Parts: sequence; C-alpha cells; structure tokens
Amino acid sequence: MREFFAKLFQDKFARISFFTLVVLYLIILFANFIAPYSSSYSNRDKAYAPPSKVYTIDEKGKLSRPYTYNYIREFEPTLMQTIYKQDRSQKYYLKLLPKVGGKRHLFGVQDGGELYLLGTDINGRDVFSRLLFGGRISMTVGFLALLIVFPIGLLYGGISGYFGGIVDTLMMRFAEAVMAIPSFYLLIILAAILPTGMTSVQRFGLIVVILALIGWAGFARVVRGMVLSIKNEDFVSAAKTIGASNLRIILKHILPQTTSYVIIAMTLSIPSYILAESGLSFLGLGIQQPDASWGNMLKEAQEFTNIFYRPWLLTPGILIFIAVLSFNLLGDVIRDILDPKSQKRI
Amino acid sequence: MEFFKYISKRILQVIPLLIIVSIISFFIIRLAPIDPLAELRLNPSISQETLDKEIKRLKLDKPIYIQYISWAKSFLKGDLGYTSAGEKVSTKLKERIPNTLLLTSIVVFMTWIVGIPLGIFAAVKKETVFDRTLTVVSSVGMAIPSFFFAILLLIFAVKTGWFPVGGLTSYNFNEFSLIGKFFDLAKHLVLPTVVLFTISLSGLQRQMRANMLEVWDSDYVKFARAKGLSEFKVIFKHALRNAINPMITLLGFEFAGLLSGAALTEYVFQYPGLGRLILEAVMKSDINLVMASLMMGTIMLILGNLIADILLMLTDPRVRGTK
Amino acid sequence: MKRIWGIIFLILIVGLFLKACIMADIPEQYSDNVINADIKEIVYPAKERNVAINGIDYLQSQAPLGKFGGELVVSTIGEGPKTFNPCNTKDATSSSMAGMLYDGLVTTNPRTGEVQPLLAKSFEVNGNDYIIHLRKGIKWTDGKLITAEDVIYTYKEIVFKGLGNPSTMDAMIVDGKLPSLVQIDDYTVKFTTPRPFAPFLRQLSYPIVPKHYFKPYSDNGESVFNAFLSPNTNPKDIVSSGAFKLKEYVAAQRVVFVRNPNYYKINLENKQLPYLDKVVYLIVGDTNNEILKFEAKELDVLSIRGSNVAQYKLNEAKSDYSVYNLGADTGTLFLVINLNNRKDKNGKFYVNPIKQRWFGNRDFRAAIDWAIDRKNMVQNIASGVAEPLFTAESLNSIYLNKYIKGHPSDIEVARKSLQKAGFVLRNGKLYDNKGNRVEFDLYTNAGNLEREALGVMIKQDLEELGMKVNFKPVEFNSLVNKLTNTYDWDMAIMGLTGSPLEPHDGKNVWTSKGSLHMFNQRPANYSVDDRLSWEKDLDEIFKEGALKLLFDERKPLYDKYQTIIYNQKPIIYLYSPIRITAIRKKFKNIYPTPLSGLIYNLDEIYVE
Repeated sequence: MREFFAKLFQDKFARISFFTLVVLYLIILFANFIAPYSSSYSNRDKAYAPPSKVYTIDEKGKLSRPYTYNYIREFEPTLMQTIYKQDRSQKYYLKLLPKVGGKRHLFGVQDGGELYLLGTDINGRDVFSRLLFGGRISMTVGFLALLIVFPIGLLYGGISGYFGGIVDTLMMRFAEAVMAIPSFYLLIILAAILPTGMTSVQRFGLIVVILALIGWAGFARVVRGMVLSIKNEDFVSAAKTIGASNLRIILKHILPQTTSYVIIAMTLSIPSYILAESGLSFLGLGIQQPDASWGNMLKEAQEFTNIFYRPWLLTPGILIFIAVLSFNLLGDVIRDILDPKSQKRI
Repeated sequence: MEFFKYISKRILQVIPLLIIVSIISFFIIRLAPIDPLAELRLNPSISQETLDKEIKRLKLDKPIYIQYISWAKSFLKGDLGYTSAGEKVSTKLKERIPNTLLLTSIVVFMTWIVGIPLGIFAAVKKETVFDRTLTVVSSVGMAIPSFFFAILLLIFAVKTGWFPVGGLTSYNFNEFSLIGKFFDLAKHLVLPTVVLFTISLSGLQRQMRANMLEVWDSDYVKFARAKGLSEFKVIFKHALRNAINPMITLLGFEFAGLLSGAALTEYVFQYPGLGRLILEAVMKSDINLVMASLMMGTIMLILGNLIADILLMLTDPRVRGTK
Repeated sequence: MKRIWGIIFLILIVGLFLKACIMADIPEQYSDNVINADIKEIVYPAKERNVAINGIDYLQSQAPLGKFGGELVVSTIGEGPKTFNPCNTKDATSSSMAGMLYDGLVTTNPRTGEVQPLLAKSFEVNGNDYIIHLRKGIKWTDGKLITAEDVIYTYKEIVFKGLGNPSTMDAMIVDGKLPSLVQIDDYTVKFTTPRPFAPFLRQLSYPIVPKHYFKPYSDNGESVFNAFLSPNTNPKDIVSSGAFKLKEYVAAQRVVFVRNPNYYKINLENKQLPYLDKVVYLIVGDTNNEILKFEAKELDVLSIRGSNVAQYKLNEAKSDYSVYNLGADTGTLFLVINLNNRKDKNGKFYVNPIKQRWFGNRDFRAAIDWAIDRKNMVQNIASGVAEPLFTAESLNSIYLNKYIKGHPSDIEVARKSLQKAGFVLRNGKLYDNKGNRVEFDLYTNAGNLEREALGVMIKQDLEELGMKVNFKPVEFNSLVNKLTNTYDWDMAIMGLTGSPLEPHDGKNVWTSKGSLHMFNQRPANYSVDDRLSWEKDLDEIFKEGALKLLFDERKPLYDKYQTIIYNQKPIIYLYSPIRITAIRKKFKNIYPTPLSGLIYNLDEIYVE
C-alpha cells in the first residue's frame, strides 16, 4: 500500500490530480461552512448580478482590510437594459469566521453587505455557494453509482464465468442485449420514466441507479472474461477439492484476483458518470431545480448572452472539466502502476 | 466449412438477442408516463375528436403487450410503421442515415489515421515528455462535456465567421457547382468533426499505446531489437502486426456506433443526423421511430462484432483454434 | 532545470493569487450611451383593391413599388413541417408552411383584425347566409382555373367529412349541425349556418385546395389522405395557390419556397407579385441556435427575447438590422390550480381530499395570487422585457377586458385572505383549520430555463406564506399527460397560445367539457353535471358569445368571462413577454403590427 502511494506520488500529474481531488472533496464536505450563503438563499433584486469586487487598496491608494461594495440595479426602459452599478456610498468589510443565523461560516461580510464572489444566477442566488452545494451531487454521483455497479458486475460476471455452459450463455446474452441498446438513449428513456412525484433526494438516488444500470453489463463481461481464465488456476481446483461451496470459491478465491482491474475501472469510470450527469441535466432530465448540480447550473451557459456577458455562469463547466481531468490523469497513472500492460478499454 | 458453420451459428444467436432488446426497450418506453400526443393536447384549437382519432391511429387505447405484438408483426414483414406525427418511419430514417454515416465515417477515419500512429509513438517513446504531453492533451479532450465544447465552438464560428453555424448544407446548396458543393459540405462538417474527434481520439490512442507496450515487452520484439534491426523495422515488421489485432475488435464496435450517432453533438450543431432524430423521438415516446432505430443499432452492433470476428479469424490463426 | 520550472510555476501561481487579492479601488466607468428611442414613423398603405384586367380579378397591393428579385431567410423552431397538406396539419410549423402554399377564401386584416376577402373577390353576409364571390380567371400553379368547384370540393369532401384534422369541422358545428353549402354559379357559392354563428366568417379562412389534384387521394380513405403531401413529395408535383410555391424540402434543415408566377396579387404598376424570388425557412432546434445564425448573418429575421433585447437595441444604430417592438405576445403564461374533486375508476380521488378543500377555496387561491411577485418575475426572468398579466385574454387581444387592472403583490393581503379562509400560521408554518400542514407539489416542464426559474420564485413566494411547496420540473410530455390524462397534480406552471382576435378559440380551455379544461378536467365522456356555479356561467358565455355576430354585442360577454376568471382564479396569470423582432434593414415594405407581426406580407416585401 505504502509502495503504491510512493509510486503514485512520484508522478507529477498524479500528485497534482490527487491533491486537486482531495481539495475538491474537502470543499464540498465543508460546503455548509465555506459557502457564505445557504443553498436556499436568493436575492430577488440582484438577479444576474456580476461578481462582487473585493478591494484591498482603498481609493486613496492605501492598503486596507478587504472590503466590497453592493450593487444597485437600474433598468433603462428605452433600451430595456438592466444595469448594475456599484453603490459607492457604503463600504462593507469582509469578516473572517462570522456567525450568520447561528452558524459560523468561513468568511462573510458586514451586515447589509452582499458578497457574491462569482456573481448570481437568474433567481439571484449566489453562484459560488451553489457551486459548492452542486459539487456535492456532481462529485458523488459517480461514486455512488459505482457502489451499485461493482457488486452487481462482479457477482454477475463471476457467476457467469465460473459456471460456464448454459448459465453463461443465458447471462451473457442478456448482458449483451443491455449493451446493444445505445447507452445514451437508454439513459434518456430511463430518466424519462422516473416517477414524477419524487423528492429531490429520491430523484438523486434514482439517477444514481439509472447510471448504474447503464454501466454494469460491460463491466460484468470483462469480469467474466477474467474469471474464465482464473478458474482453471491451481488454487481454484484446490479449493474445490477441499469442498468449498461455489459461492465461497467465487467470492473468496476468484474475485479477489480481479482487484487491480476493479480499482483501475473505478477511477477511470467515475469521470464518465460525472459527464453523464451533466449531459442529462443539459436535456433537463437530471437533477432538478431548485437543487444545484454542476450539470444543471451549466444549463444557463447555453444562452448566447450568458456566455458573452455573464461569463461567471460558465464556472460549473470549468469545475466539471477540472474534476474529470483529475480523475482521468489519476486513473492513468494508477493503471500504469497496477497493471502496466492492461488492455482493457474502459 | 468450419467457418460457415461458425458464422451461421453467430447469426442464429442474433435472433434471441433482437427479441430481448426489442422487449426491454418497448416496455420501458411505453411504461414512461410520456404522452406522445402532448403537443396536440396543449393546442387549444385541436378538438377532442382529433385527439380520439390520433389515439386510435397510434393504438394508444390498447394494452402494451398488444401494441408490442402488432409492432413486432409489422416489423417482421419489414414494415416500420408511421411516426406519431404520421410520417413513414422508413423515409425518416432514409433521410438521416446518409448524413450520420457521412459524419461518423469521417470521424472514425480521422481518429484512426491520427490515433494509431500517436499510440505507437507514445508507446515507443514511453514515459518521455512526448508521451506525457500526449496523455495530458488527450485527457483534456476527454474532460470537456461534449455539448459545452460544441457550444463554445459555435460561438467561435459566429465570432470569426470562418464556419457556418450548424446544419449540413447552405440553403442555396443546390445552385453550387460540384466543387462548391464539396466545400460547402466540408465547411459544415469541420466543427462537429472536431468535437467528436477530440472525444474519441484519446481512447483510441491510449488503447493502441497499451497494445503496443504489451508487444514491445514481448520476447520476440526484444529479440528483434537485440538482433540490431532498425527501430523502424522493429515497429512496423514485428510489433505493429501483433499490436493491431485487438484493434480489429474495436473496429467492430466503431462500426456499430456508425449509426447510433452522437445525439448531444448533433443536437447542439443542429446536424440533421440520426442521433438528433432518435433523441427527439425518445423524448416524445415516438415508439415506432425509437424501436426502428434501436433495432437498427442492435443489428449494426452484431454485424460489427461479426465482421471483427471474421477479420480476426483471417488475420490471426491462433483465434481460429480457440473458437 | 526541472527545479527552475517548478519555481517559475510557483511564482506565477503566487503572483496570480496576489493579483486576485490586491485590488485597487478605482471607481468603475459606466458608459452613458443611452440612445434616444427613435420612433419609426410608419405610414400604412391603404387596403388592397380589386382590379380587373383582361377579365381577371386581381388583388392590387397599395404598398409602395419595390424591386423584383432577392431572397429572404427566416427560421422556424422545432423539427420542421410534418406535412404540406393544409387539411391535415396539427402543429404550428406545418400549418404555416401549408399556409404559404394555400390561401383561404378570406383572411384577417393584419392591422384591424377584421375579416377581408382573399381568394374571394367579395362576400355578403345576410343573416345566416354567406354569399362568396370568387375571383374570375385566377389560376393554380399548374395553370388550371380556381373555381367554385374547388371551394365546394374543399368544404364538402374534406372539411365536412372531417378528413385529416377534423378540428375545423368540430368548430363549425352549431347545435349538432354543419352549415350547408350550395354552388350558385362557376364563381359564386353560398354557405348557410343553422343559426347565427359569429366565428363562422373567420373560419372561412380555411385553405381552399385544388380538386383535380386532391380528389384522387381524398377518395381513397383516411390513411391515403393523411400520407398525401408528406414533406418528401416531389415539389414539382404540388399544385398550390399561394404567393410562393415549394421548391425544396431538406429534412431537419430547411424549406425553400420560390415565386408563384400565377399569383393573383399585383402591384401598383399591375405587375404580378411577389417581389421576392425566394423565401427560405431554416429549421432550427432552439432559440440559441437561431440567435447564433442571425449573428452569423445566415438569417434575416430574428425574434428576440429577454436579456438579449438590450444588446440588439444598443447595436441597432451601427448595424444592418432594425429592431421593432411588436407589443405583448399572444401567448399566456400562468399558474394553474387543480380543482378536480372527482374519483378515478378505482374510487380513489385524483386529488387528496384535504388538498381539495384548500384548492377549492377561493380565498386560498386569492392568497396565492396576491403573494406572487410579478414585478420581479418580469425584471429577473424576462429581463424587464414583459408586462405583468392578470387577464385570461392576452394583452394584445381585441377582446381584452381593460377594466381588470390587476394589483401589486402584497403579502399582508395574502395573509389576511388565508386567515379568512381559516388557515393558521404557527412558527412560520401554515395549517388548515383541521390542523393539516399546507404542502403541495408544483410542476412545470423541465429543461425550460424560464419556467424553472419561475417555479423557484413562486416556491419562495408561497413559502413566505408558510406553505410547503415541492417544486418538481418534469419532462414536457409527462407533464401534459398529468394535466390531461391522469389528473394527479396540484399546481403547474404552463403556457398556452391564444388568438388575439377570436376568444371562441379558447372554448376548449374554458367550457366545462373542453379537452383542455385543465383546472377541472373531466374525462372525455363524463355525464354527471358537477359544474361549479361559475363554470356554468362560463359555459353560458361561450355558448352565447358564438351566436352573437357584432363585436359590440360580444365584447361585454367576453369581458365578463375574464372577470370571472380573475375573481375565481383557477388560473393565475403571470406575465406576457414583449415581442421584439429584428430584421435586416435592406428589406422594405415592412409594416409591423401587434396582431400579425413583422413579415405577414411576404408578397409585398422587397430587397432594396
């Protein structure tokens, strides 16, 4: 184990990726503490407000405690233009560890001040805070799906490969049938049958299940291939002769041999789940408002005006990019360490 | 003889697969609480009688299994039925298939032409700056959500004016000369190709690299290198021939993907391909259209696997024995 | 070497971080480029006149003379036309495409909204008799004359038989009877309605089709007729009458129309219109793509919404397009409440009886209406490019009840209304008089940014009142299924298209047996009379309104129906977007009207 990490950290990209991911997960873990606003906060008078500017040098050129100004919204009726201007009459100083509504936050601003580090969205919600809360969904959806995919895939592939014969044929035909349906359409069809009366937690859970339903078949097939070759090894026959039950042989003797493949497959398939969630949300079938996920926040970036005039709405895209890239780079290195000749395309 | 027996056995295996796929997909689509007539229902000027007529025509008043049986019957007769809007499914598919084939075959061709050599070089130059850079660059390509990348490229097209904004042909396409037509098509195809190419390149390149590495470490390559053969000769005469075999299986998968299209990319680029058609059909529960395209996708997948297997048998004598 | 790069990299990172932290407070400059609104002086040309030349009854446009030639590229959002058969269109795109090809006997004046002749030279209305005089000598695209035969054929063998889309037939039935139709001579026909029926004259805008081209198909039954004129029909075979004829259809990409040389409209120099050689409809998937195409100059006309408007208005002066304000949209956007108190086949209530008592309470609905913050909806979601809406008729309807003024949002009024209805607020949570916590679902269609944002706002507004709102965006088709089939919903944010000219078109929504009577939907063959008293009033109004012929007689009736909806609030209206449209400056003879938009007169538009 220690050797594994030593090797891992030798690689520059793996090191950076690993720490990026650790930082991302820490941030979303402490989202309640770090985010200046709660997930339900919204300020109607400040929809699409640009990011607050935080100043450390005041207007006289002197160093100062960081402060910011609020924005005022103006509407210009002939052009139908909404304009945000700074209200320079009142400075609001930033505060470390303030108590807001009985809870301590990492940072905040004096009473009456508004601090939107990454601006606000169409409903006047703080994009920065929503990014943190949205990360909770986007960054965990993959892991949770894997928790379903792996046991099913391992068991299914293990049984199919171990018993062989008609069991194998039947099980593999079914898995192939699932694989034969183009996964993206299957994903959409399944997302569309989700019952409509669900709470957001239930919906999140079911989306995880759906993502898992797409992934298990391919995984099971690879496991089955590995089991086919492992089951003829000496230690399996030895276990059989001492009368171990089939299930025990599969679970205790055969499946552990696939560990390194499983680890590689895990790191390399998480990014595809993150991307799948964003694709679903793009079509309006993923996580729904008012809950945040990076995918459904990025939906606002479809609009031409938003890309040009409100670039802060693109930040969820950047975070998806960083997370996926980190997982990919990390997975590559892990594969090189555990199984340098791996041929399995995942 | 052995060969034909194998092929006919494979073809027979296809039938249960098709049946399972069709049952699974038909039932999950019909279980969805999606009303194929939603748009009609929300149109205040459409009367109840019109709705009743449509419900009868689409057999929505019948239980699901009867709907399935009547679909399966006409499918066996080669009749794909009508879409929920009343157009022939076969004509709809015929309109879109050439467009999708055009795009996907260009993308597959490009990725193979670029990805295979890159994979080889990355393996030969393993752990050098070149290899590392390539890994990172291709990971970057894989990490951008395809629809987001497509949107950014569209904006790029608008701002530079170098490329048209989506679609496949300009509106006065038919008035162009042959060369003009060619360039018009090419101009429209660049951006979607870039998106799909970026996404699929890295996978292929990594796969080729892995294959090559495996062969590279094998005894006969080591031996060939020890003999003092030139690097070039070793790569192309000894290593490559063995490393490319697993890629043939992959080619089979690529073949299957030719017709399933890339829905999100097609959607953002307004590309008149199958992917967008199926996407829209799925969202509207347009059962005949969805089923026809799913069946087509399944058949393509099986065909692709079959072709790959045959190619493997022809190129690699070892495989023939094990099958 | 490696270390040096590492250090440089570190310095860069630290530098960037410091750069982000140290920010000098320099006041921002705001540009003051407020452009004075230039009110475009538009002189409308006079109404078209009938002119007979060589025995042919032409229609003469009174618009200024233009130049022949050129092309106009417009867009249609969605999947494109599904048929070119004007008798079988069921969606807006197909209708407008088929409408390009086939003209009706009459049409709507784009400015006043009154009915005026089109294929007909003139018409007379005597009580229940409608005598239509056709133009003599005008031709189909294949050179055959358009005569009374075609009119008789269209109505008797297609409309009255309910071939294709039977909605027109259903709309024409009065007291269970269809109007009668007789041919008087080659160019005159007479319709007789069983009773006075106001919408009838406008219904005569139904497209007239060529008998010699359609008959072989209409004689062969429903399915042959439905497949007839599918988008893949060879354009050369199509016989039509409109200003433009079909040139090309490319699936999911475009529909191209070219000038019809046989068109019956002429300009002031008696030359046959249209001016344009070609009209191209690009089929685009969504508004984002439409905007990009306009920016890339692939499109000539663009309808702009919300936050994009300011940008286009700012750039108008130095660009090649003009921006027109066409006033409020004809569609409506609303929150609908489910008043259904019926049981399904298994004896289970569609809506939980506890909720039925809330939703059935007028004061409860009024509280919701008062709590909704329309002002900020308009400001945030529509970027100020909209008007708050309180009436069932859209703001540009000629039947709009101008006495309904609406009200600003007021949470106190809402609270009082709830109190009056017996609801109590405890610890910020609202309970009914039996102690049930007020909690319900709010649906809208997912994937629509505007409606999702509306839902988030309404949820917040209602939670101010102590209600618990579960906001659930669902897939569009699933939502409609709930509204019209399964009835298991509480509240929903929806939109409907409407007609600014004919309130009777809304009868499917407002009459108790309508197929779109969403707020209290009854199954198709429901026989029990459980109408609410005001539902009875609505039924009466729509029955009576259709029988009155004069605008002044109808107006008070339709005013009353809007008052009923406003008082009872089964549907709470939100806002009406303002339609802003841009068109390239090179196009002339553009006379925008709130009723018909910008390019209704395609035959008169020319390129400078």
